[in-house]
Amino acid sequence: MSYCVNCGVELNPGAIACPLCSTPVVNPNCHPDAAEPGFFPSRKEEVAPVSRREAALLLSSMLLSVAICCGLLNLVFYSHIWWSFFIGGAMAMLWVWFVPPLLIKGMFIWVRLTLDVLAVGAYVCLIAVALDGMDWFLALALPINVAAVVIIPVLYWIIRTRRCSLLVSAVLVLMAIGLFSMLTEYICDRYLIGEWTPGWALVVLASCVGLSIPLIIVRRVPSLREEARRRFHM
Amino acid sequence: MEKPRRPWYRMDNASFMYSSIQREEFSAIYRFSAVLTERVDPVLLQAAVDRTLPRFPGFAMKICRGFFWYYFEPNTAPGPYVKEDTADPCRPVRFNEDSGWLVRFYYYRSRISLEVFHALADGAGSLTFFKALLAEYLRQRGAAIPPGEGVIDLDEPPRPEEREDAYLRYAGKAARAIPRVPKAYQNRGTPEPFYTFHVTMGFLSVQELRGKARSYGASITEYLAAVLMLQLIEKQKRERPIREKPVTLAVPVNLRPFFPTETLRNFIITVQPSVDPTLGDYSFEQLISLIHSYMHLTAEPVKLRAAMTRGVRLLLNPFLVLIPRVLKNPIMLLSYHLTGVEPYSAVLTNPGRFVVPECMRPYIEHMEVVQGQATVARPHVSTISYGDTFEITFSGVQKETELEREFFRFLVRDGLHVRIESNR
Repeated sequence: MSYCVNCGVELNPGAIACPLCSTPVVNPNCHPDAAEPGFFPSRKEEVAPVSRREAALLLSSMLLSVAICCGLLNLVFYSHIWWSFFIGGAMAMLWVWFVPPLLIKGMFIWVRLTLDVLAVGAYVCLIAVALDGMDWFLALALPINVAAVVIIPVLYWIIRTRRCSLLVSAVLVLMAIGLFSMLTEYICDRYLIGEWTPGWALVVLASCVGLSIPLIIVRRVPSLREEARRRFHM
Repeated sequence: MEKPRRPWYRMDNASFMYSSIQREEFSAIYRFSAVLTERVDPVLLQAAVDRTLPRFPGFAMKICRGFFWYYFEPNTAPGPYVKEDTADPCRPVRFNEDSGWLVRFYYYRSRISLEVFHALADGAGSLTFFKALLAEYLRQRGAAIPPGEGVIDLDEPPRPEEREDAYLRYAGKAARAIPRVPKAYQNRGTPEPFYTFHVTMGFLSVQELRGKARSYGASITEYLAAVLMLQLIEKQKRERPIREKPVTLAVPVNLRPFFPTETLRNFIITVQPSVDPTLGDYSFEQLISLIHSYMHLTAEPVKLRAAMTRGVRLLLNPFLVLIPRVLKNPIMLLSYHLTGVEPYSAVLTNPGRFVVPECMRPYIEHMEVVQGQATVARPHVSTISYGDTFEITFSGVQKETELEREFFRFLVRDGLHVRIESNR
């Protein structure tokens, strides 16, 4: 019979450490009995996860039925415009967002993010084709989409692979927002007025930089970092 | 030829709540275990289950999804089958798996365990069923266990009173909620990966514990509630929050002593002893006195009936009735989060003494109780006594052991002998 020297509680004869405080059991007169069967069973039972295939099938059928119903309604209502074309495209975009992650186990999140942004781009392209607006698509929507395709997965990749702390991640996200705003304004200005005249994006960038500076200071000063961690239960 | 109509049963308000909020990360399952003096024979246990379950049709149910409500239907599927116990008890229930059974039976060495989904019955109802099962198992082993003294006769037909919705029967005219405290200290830990469930049990002598509680002028439950509350207050202090929150316990009260009924279904209500640490420091004696007074003031029939009526009225609310079930579930989940999770720091449940006839006593060594996974990563505390063994369980998915460690250390410092067993 052994007792925990810290907690004062009696332990199982087979215990090698106190389950309450993890203090090792050291009792020269009574060694832990390895042959002693556990008080609780040790057999782990695998819990089968909910079938993701079935969920994917259900979601796909829901999206498909919406697209088909709208297509049929389109034959009756406002049949001179192919409005169901836009809904079908939106359903396809939602399918890309939600179904592949259910079907492919362990899909890299940055692959998923890239696919998501590409799906948005494809949907916008569909609208451009339908409205005969390939000029604004190529000059405006496509470059903004490419910027998003580059920035969002790269940001996620940096945060994930460098194992950034919460503060560093927040700074990186703010910087990415600022950069994306600048790129968006640049692309819009080039398309609309032919030259870049920095305006609202500078305000966004300045705000992001302004918010990032205190975060960087907190990150750099250990005492501040410790205090923030304690106060915010991080 | 007319097809026979399949019977169905309406849920009481507690059952509907538990069914609506059931999900993968939460389990309204609890477990009672009896550790016998001899190894369990699984074949005889299965025979005992097969013989006992038909007498308790309330436990042989499955949950069906209606358009507006969940409801019960008798489960005619084969089973439930006795299984060898696993390391992580009280796995969450999935209504469409395991043939829809909402009760499970396990064995491990000399331990027989019964797991019940809370929608079927409360602790008192399940213990009646468990007692009948143990008696039948011992009969199968050759012991002479006559019915009576709390052991239900398996040869008599099931009585309708055992299936009554006692909430509905005793609901009064006035509906009031027990005054609630604001958001309490949440006592959250780091959750383990799915599905790891930690159980830590402490065993004490009932006589020693009762003597200690009486020395403070309190009952055992009041004494343990005060110890738990003190540990929660001190734990919150150690975490140095910007502003301390009230520490509130959820203590389920069995309503049967106040409102006589033979029902085996749910018939409990929760009371909430609470202290606000921002008002100042409470000594242990003050905490005991506060909990003792609170229990006496709150656990009285008129207030309990008003609180029970409120729950029943909510279920009969015509606006809620007309909402489809798929929309009701998120509402119930939000309601449970606001009224059943946020106002509490911990749950302390004590189903009381497990009393068996004299002829069964030599076969049972001690009893255990475990509550399933909480909605958040914090421990549930449950207790049960049998003979001179008092058992206290801390169960949950949190990695940390701080609360149970300090709780049991306090009992040791207070002069009580504690033996610890854990699956950690």
